[in-house]
Amino acid sequence: MKIKIYPIIAILVVTALLLAACRPAAPAVEEPTVEEPAVEEPATEEPAAEEPTVEEPAEEGPCLIIGALHGGPITDAGYNQAMHESIMQIKENIPCVEIIEAENVPEEAGATSTMENMIQQGAGMIIATAFNHQYPALALAEQNPDVIFEHAGGWEMSANFANFFGEPPDTWYIMGVAAGLMTESNKLGFVAAFPLGWTNTFINAYALGAQSVNPDVEVIVAFTFGWGDSAKEADATNSLINQGVDVITMHVDSPSTVLSTAESRGVYSIGFQSLAAQDFAPEYWISGIGFTLGSKLTWLASTVIDGSWEPIFLRCGIADGCMEMGPFGPNVPQDVQDQVLQAKDGIESGDIVVFTGPVLDQDGNVAVAEGEVLTSDLMSSVDWFVQGVTGSPK
Amino acid sequence: MSLLAILGVISSAIFSGTSLLYTTLGETIHQRSGIVNLGLEGIMLISASAGFGITVMTGSPYLGVLVATITGGLVNMILGFLVVTRRANQLASGLALMFFGFGLSALIGKPFVGAKINALPRISLPGISNLPILYASLFEFDILIYLVIPMAFLIWWLLFRTRWGLGLRAVGENADTAFASGRNPFLIRYQALFLGGMLAGLGAAHLSIAYTMNWSEYMTAGRGFIAVALVIFSKWHPLRAIVGALLFSGAVAFQLLLQSSGVQVSPFLLDTIPYILTLLVLMAWGGTRRHAAPASLGRVYQGGQQ
Repeated sequence: MKIKIYPIIAILVVTALLLAACRPAAPAVEEPTVEEPAVEEPATEEPAAEEPTVEEPAEEGPCLIIGALHGGPITDAGYNQAMHESIMQIKENIPCVEIIEAENVPEEAGATSTMENMIQQGAGMIIATAFNHQYPALALAEQNPDVIFEHAGGWEMSANFANFFGEPPDTWYIMGVAAGLMTESNKLGFVAAFPLGWTNTFINAYALGAQSVNPDVEVIVAFTFGWGDSAKEADATNSLINQGVDVITMHVDSPSTVLSTAESRGVYSIGFQSLAAQDFAPEYWISGIGFTLGSKLTWLASTVIDGSWEPIFLRCGIADGCMEMGPFGPNVPQDVQDQVLQAKDGIESGDIVVFTGPVLDQDGNVAVAEGEVLTSDLMSSVDWFVQGVTGSPK
Repeated sequence: MSLLAILGVISSAIFSGTSLLYTTLGETIHQRSGIVNLGLEGIMLISASAGFGITVMTGSPYLGVLVATITGGLVNMILGFLVVTRRANQLASGLALMFFGFGLSALIGKPFVGAKINALPRISLPGISNLPILYASLFEFDILIYLVIPMAFLIWWLLFRTRWGLGLRAVGENADTAFASGRNPFLIRYQALFLGGMLAGLGAAHLSIAYTMNWSEYMTAGRGFIAVALVIFSKWHPLRAIVGALLFSGAVAFQLLLQSSGVQVSPFLLDTIPYILTLLVLMAWGGTRRHAAPASLGRVYQGGQQ
């Protein structure tokens, strides 16, 4: 009898742990969880006598509480860090704002409960930065008409739900120019997470930029099928280098593994997401691009505070300061730097429009007809690669 | 397909297969002593985060590897206490340990996300460094890679050519008989768990300190379970585990090569290859006496109480 009880206890423990594990990102979310929102809400709303106690702290307290949530860790030197730093700039520019931040909220269920939580804590504006946050945020926007929702990179719009993002394709073209000039093997490697429309667009812009200065260049793509699977990223980077690639870049969450691996094998690299990426490649860094959305987010928050916020589909590029180019690495010759900056000027002034027809796809079919330009709503659903790209876009 | 591409697949397989092979060797020892350890994933994660953290703090990757290795052995002592001393169900305890590892490693690793480390340095062998740079960089390995195959032979020697190994295998086959012949199954199982845990820790150290140079939550991405599958695939033999680990990581490297050559093969299908192979091995040899698992694998040893 005494002996048989341990398996039972053990199974109970495992069941409990399994259930605990199903809870969304509980250990990683930084802000405290609030229990039973559904019960408490009507209690504070119904009796009018309680109103002063509710309003009093609101007047002394912050002018706006912003709830921000991220899909991954905010110190990843990548996308999450770039978004985190942009959001923190709101606080620097408007000191009376209070920011509640939650990191490591990758999936839908966790996003919903985290946002509900933030609204319970008085958040008047929610900024959701992960791809998976869009639909949970949209659903909550419908239930909470007084709360403004902004999503990074989404496409849905409603009365209190809008989205914002930088315009990376232009900057990818500039990086392509840099890579096309630096390569000696004429093979550029691109480690990407998933063959999504935007990722394909980045790869295409990168290839077109490289081809504009080096017509023989080939861009080889390897997908890892995960935003943060570092072992797969190392596998993919090594595989590309073994195929003779001498410049590596990536579109995954954190640049650390891809850039460190390239550096350890003496291969040039280009960073994306956050300018912090350059730390991982002190010698073979060419340049990089990062999201610097702080000033636009500050403006959005200020419109929420003064009540003039309207849902707009906000996209802003390198000329607006929403994207920034990193410094050149120590091994980039001056004439390459000059040509890259020239391309940057061309993009900023509008002289260079990346996807101007005719653009041919891998099979030689016309993807963008002559005289036409690929619009950004089409960019989000690109399922083709331009000529000179090796890899499968689906 | 060029020579460079073929050598590239071999090189990639060695790079990414190393952590898998260390872990598989660890699990081979566990299972030879009669313990199924499903907690490997958690042990690897805790070791990887601890080793990575130490490397960040001290700047020494060797110290990081050492800490990761010892951590692996110590964490396995929790499992030892549960399944040996407390006679708990092995599968349940292993899974509990795995979930414990998810949480604890996230906690340990949190301050080190996005940190840059001095990775374990690559050492070039004299003959290799004379090759053209493109080829030479394929076969410049770190110390843990050079040591992994000797380690497999060492484990084989320990298990099959020493008295200690004989005792360990005897415990795995029939603990009562082993006890009757003067062995202490409790002690042997603890030793097996400590040694195996250290090997899993070494695998994790290679993954975080040498291969990816990074810590991220759940970075092992199922490698602990692949190791369990590979133990079955290699039929509980350390030398066959070399083949298994290289075959699996070679499949991943080959899939990436196909993919970046523009060939359409589902990476998801290729990812299932080790499990398909394991199923095939089980189907082919499942019941036959000679290739069967250690007889008391997964069984709780009750006897020998004072």
